[in-house]
Amino acid sequence: MLTINHLHKQFGSVTALSDVSFDVPDNQITGLIGQNGSGKSTTFHSILNFLRYGGEIRWNGQPIKEADFDSIGYLPEERSLMPKLTIEQQIVYLARLKSKPAKEIRPQIDGWLKKFAVKGKKTDKIKDLSKGNQQKVQLIVTLIHHPKLIILDEPFSGLDPVNADLLKQAILEARDQGAAIIFSSHDMANVEAVCDRLVMLRTGDVVLNGTIREVRDQFGKSEIYVTTDWTAEQLEQLPHVIKVQNIRGKRFLLRLDDPEKGPEVFDQLTDGKYIEEFSQQPPTLDEIFRMKAGISHE
Amino acid sequence: MNKTLIVAIETYLRQVKSWSFIMLVLSPFILLAISLGIGYTSATSSSDQQRIAVISEQPALRKEFIKANKDDVKASVTTNAAAQKSVDNNKLTGYLVLSADKNKVTGVYHSSDSIGTGMKTRVNVFLAQTQQQLNLANAKLSSKQMKSLAVQPAFKEKIKANHGGANLAKIISFWVLVFMIYMILITYSSVTAQEIASEKGTKVMEIIFSSTKASKYFVGKILGVFGVILTQIVVYIVGGYGFFQIAMHLDNIKSLIADNQSLVDGIIKNMLGINLLFVFLGVIIYTIISAFSGALVAKAEDAPKAAQPAIYLSMIAFFLTMPFQSNSDALIAKVLSYVPFFSSYFMPMRIINDNASGMEIGISLVILIASILLLTWYIGQIYEGLILQTDDTSFWKRLRRGLAYQK
Repeated sequence: MLTINHLHKQFGSVTALSDVSFDVPDNQITGLIGQNGSGKSTTFHSILNFLRYGGEIRWNGQPIKEADFDSIGYLPEERSLMPKLTIEQQIVYLARLKSKPAKEIRPQIDGWLKKFAVKGKKTDKIKDLSKGNQQKVQLIVTLIHHPKLIILDEPFSGLDPVNADLLKQAILEARDQGAAIIFSSHDMANVEAVCDRLVMLRTGDVVLNGTIREVRDQFGKSEIYVTTDWTAEQLEQLPHVIKVQNIRGKRFLLRLDDPEKGPEVFDQLTDGKYIEEFSQQPPTLDEIFRMKAGISHE
Repeated sequence: MNKTLIVAIETYLRQVKSWSFIMLVLSPFILLAISLGIGYTSATSSSDQQRIAVISEQPALRKEFIKANKDDVKASVTTNAAAQKSVDNNKLTGYLVLSADKNKVTGVYHSSDSIGTGMKTRVNVFLAQTQQQLNLANAKLSSKQMKSLAVQPAFKEKIKANHGGANLAKIISFWVLVFMIYMILITYSSVTAQEIASEKGTKVMEIIFSSTKASKYFVGKILGVFGVILTQIVVYIVGGYGFFQIAMHLDNIKSLIADNQSLVDGIIKNMLGINLLFVFLGVIIYTIISAFSGALVAKAEDAPKAAQPAIYLSMIAFFLTMPFQSNSDALIAKVLSYVPFFSSYFMPMRIINDNASGMEIGISLVILIASILLLTWYIGQIYEGLILQTDDTSFWKRLRRGLAYQK
């Protein structure tokens, strides 16, 4: 397990991280979200020891040492490989730097290329690959040595839905093999789809931390999705409804001032009759993200 | 395998497999081969015209002449008519008709031009020797008389040590050495700066630094470049020796070298040994500085600019040596022969001029090696900070920030 305690980082007069604490447990995927400049990459760079920082970062109870580098798989935010090398040379070189012998890695390359549907042969030069395929090779490089701690900085950026699914699959597989995984993303749908836990940073502070369910439940079931013949104006007249949003056709989203009042709204809306849809839910991650991010602008 | 070694091997292989390196190493040999080839072809193509035919009714006499002058005789021509035809067609320079009776040996040379001096001497020597043998046979001498007639006059050559040759050897050695350092430095400063800067442009360094320590990576990188430099020097030495051996089979070069043997020996002695070590260490320390400059660029396109500090420093050292070439025991030359970056030029110059003691050479070497180690250690410590900073500020600002970086 990766433990971060009171992480602090200052760049000149700018505080990048003020007092960040959270855990990345084994066998779980932790999503690190936040707006641009919220401190996600600085957190990753601190874990990887690229920076001097205040506070404490521990891997299985110990400070991260050189010997632990072999157990780390890291995908940086900007994709980059060595353009003059072939796919095979690139994968083998970086795997050897993770102390994996070439003879162990070489036989696995074809399997990984197939798994990620990389278009090209392993003898093709990196510079001759499309951007998407280069990104896939970089993902292979991150995962092929079976790391125990996986750090992915914006892994889904630039991937189409098909390739994003391949990546999700690979991340879930690595989790099931016991790895502790942390990744940053702006796409809340991806975070919700694969993450067990969530940490949100806002200008260097942790504003959300917990499992997806815990985070969403913090905000209460303050939203109701209904499909009804009522008009928006009629719905606005219901007690405790503070906002009505027409999603499409007869489908509306009602926001309540008190989640406990859901049954009362249900009684009034249905009046004992059939209704096609009435679903009371906590806010989505996307809404929570917007809500939390929005506070900083107030 | 040790990660430093993995980086060194990768760097080495990538460089030596590149076309630019192969061309860099092979180009002098290609030029040499072309010039030797041209020389050989022109020598062989013109040789027939310069040869003669030998005609004689006494086969033994003809055979003996051919044996003594096989390079000058076209043996396939055996008759007067064939020889005359070849001369008329400009295929032979002339032909020699040899004859001998009981008392006299005669040689008649037929040609449209007078016989060349060298050939005339060789023909005269042959005729004189053959006539001598005939005379001795006709005189019917006892073996004792034969022996006393065979006594030759004595002639000995005693030459004092040639100071002029030694001085010439020093001058040639000096120029070859400084140009060698300078050329290797210019080449590898750019190669190293480019190599490091190109990685800074890509963020693959973040992946690498999540795998090994920056200092180990830096040392590996430098070791890889040293391997490349060493390969080039070894190829030049081995290839140079090979060409020397081939050239020694060419008569005119063989005689040229034989005539200047002491000069050639002097130059080879000055070029090898401790001076070569100074060259190699000099290239190393400049390479480290180039790597440091390469790490300071903001993007790969600036790499040629990044090599400039090392190249300028090298140029200053190079031009500073000029006035001291014949005055190497001046105080400034002595001082600079201990200063890293300058000592690789100045100490070999002093060694060539025989005014550096073993102790002085040793101290200069120790200072140079210690500087290399210290510099490598220091840059290794700040290397991560230099490579990971990608903001496009001014060169000096990045340098200042790089120097201030300590983890």
